[in-house]
Amino acid sequence: MMVKKVLHSLTLNGEEVQVATAAGATLLQTLREDLRILSSKRGCNQGVCGACTVLVDGTPVRACLTLTARCEGHAVQTMEGMDGDRVMATLQRHMVQSGGVQCGFCTGGVLISARDLLEADPTPSREAVKTALSGNICRCTGYRTIVDAVCGAAEELSQ
Amino acid sequence: MTEVLSPLTVDDAIALLVEHDEAMPLAGGATLIAMRNASLVEPSHLVSLDRIAELRGIDRTADGTIRIGAMTRHCDTAACAELTGSLHVLRRAAGMIANRVVRNMGTMGGAVANADPAADYLPALACCDATLEIAGPEGRRSLSIHDYVDDWYETALGEGEIITAIMLPAPVEAPSAYRKIARVSGDYATASCAMALDPDGQGLRVAIGACGPGPLRDRAGEDALRGKLHDPAALAEFAGRLVALADPVDDVRGSAEYRLRLIPRLVASVLSELAPQKETA
Ligand SMILES: Cc1cc2nc3c(=O)[nH]c(=O)nc-3n(C[C@H](O)[C@H](O)[C@H](O)COP(=O)(O)OP(=O)(O)OC[C@H]3O[C@@H](n4cnc5c(N)ncnc54)[C@H](O)[C@@H]3O)c2cc1C
Ligand code: FES
Ligand code: FES
Repeated sequence: MMVKKVLHSLTLNGEEVQVATAAGATLLQTLREDLRILSSKRGCNQGVCGACTVLVDGTPVRACLTLTARCEGHAVQTMEGMDGDRVMATLQRHMVQSGGVQCGFCTGGVLISARDLLEADPTPSREAVKTALSGNICRCTGYRTIVDAVCGAAEELSQ
Repeated sequence: MTEVLSPLTVDDAIALLVEHDEAMPLAGGATLIAMRNASLVEPSHLVSLDRIAELRGIDRTADGTIRIGAMTRHCDTAACAELTGSLHVLRRAAGMIANRVVRNMGTMGGAVANADPAADYLPALACCDATLEIAGPEGRRSLSIHDYVDDWYETALGEGEIITAIMLPAPVEAPSAYRKIARVSGDYATASCAMALDPDGQGLRVAIGACGPGPLRDRAGEDALRGKLHDPAALAEFAGRLVALADPVDDVRGSAEYRLRLIPRLVASVLSELAPQKETA
């Protein structure tokens, strides 16, 4: 079947891009298949696992439930565009130190959700971290090391 | 292949829904795009409602009535300072939907249109005596939330109709709360309870979620309970009437029998939170 492609303009990680993508494509599809942005993972394609989470205009959303057409004129940010972000760098370091990364499939989504939490609440309780990450499923770590990492990063950042 | 259309007015959105047989309105996409990804729906066109100014924002009108635009995201409802007193229940319900990320996406109009029996807004809105503003090919109409759900996933919304806003009576100073029993944080409810006390503390309004096709509300029972909130026999009778109205299913979130047992406990526990029994001298 011929796939009808549509041209969209959006800002990706600070750069204006034009992308031809399948009509009605999700942002996840466009990122991975057309833009080769691979940090956003396709876990469930149902909004449940959180592995695809990216920022649109600074707000975390599920890329698998977002239509690319709706991102026209908006700013999309993925892990590829987070270099130089102090909160993210601190979270990443703590994730490595505490063993919060095993296969890494969930990690990008976890980090984006965790960074969003720390922006809203720089000194979250352990319970608040667990609640904020309840939409990010990890099949490897058992979560404790992830929660340790986020709490450790929060402590370091708030000093 | 789905074509995405982005009209700027309600009239244009309705015209597009009428023009294309297989078109569907798109709000936050949290349910609709998930369904499309699973090939459960295959709309030819998605009529995106996100550019329609009329559907946005929460406003207080001159008489105190609160108007919530259909495209209001759960995160904005959960943070809305206008939802005080008797309307606090809705704010609480919004904050318990899914998780932070999904709350950034889903909208009140989309959640109400979807009418998932285990979802959180319908019981809260039934407790608030909300009214839906609806626009369609035949014009505009208002509909009481109590006349909205017809059956499992069936609502009074007609072909080509969209919800434009949810109207709430002016908040009064009286406590209200929402309680949800769920397997884990962020899951849909096994059972839920929305409750608001009358300003004089003598009566209440209660709606139970996830125990039938729509929220359970027994207004005659509420009247009978007035003045007897702390009379255990009267309260048990009231809860029994709600249980009799219930029509729960067995599913992964709990058995029908378990849900029936939750109803009286939820009512009693939310009531004790809102109206702690005073020590009598
Ligand atoms: C992982 C996950 C967990 C969730 N957990 C919960 C939960 O705990 N509690 C809960 O209550 N909900 C939960 N939801 C559902 C969530 O609240 C959705 O946002 C909601 O059900 C649909 O809202 P939407 O704005 O995304 O609508 P969409 O998905 O865009 O649309 C849903 C349906 O409504 C129609 N529609 C949309 N807007 C209108 C309108 N204005 N008028 C008429 N029809 C319209 C669409 O055509 C579609 O059929 C969850 C969703 C996900 C993905
Ligand atoms: S792939 Fe988007 S939430 Fe799982
Ligand atoms: S590290 Fe493997 S899924 Fe989380």
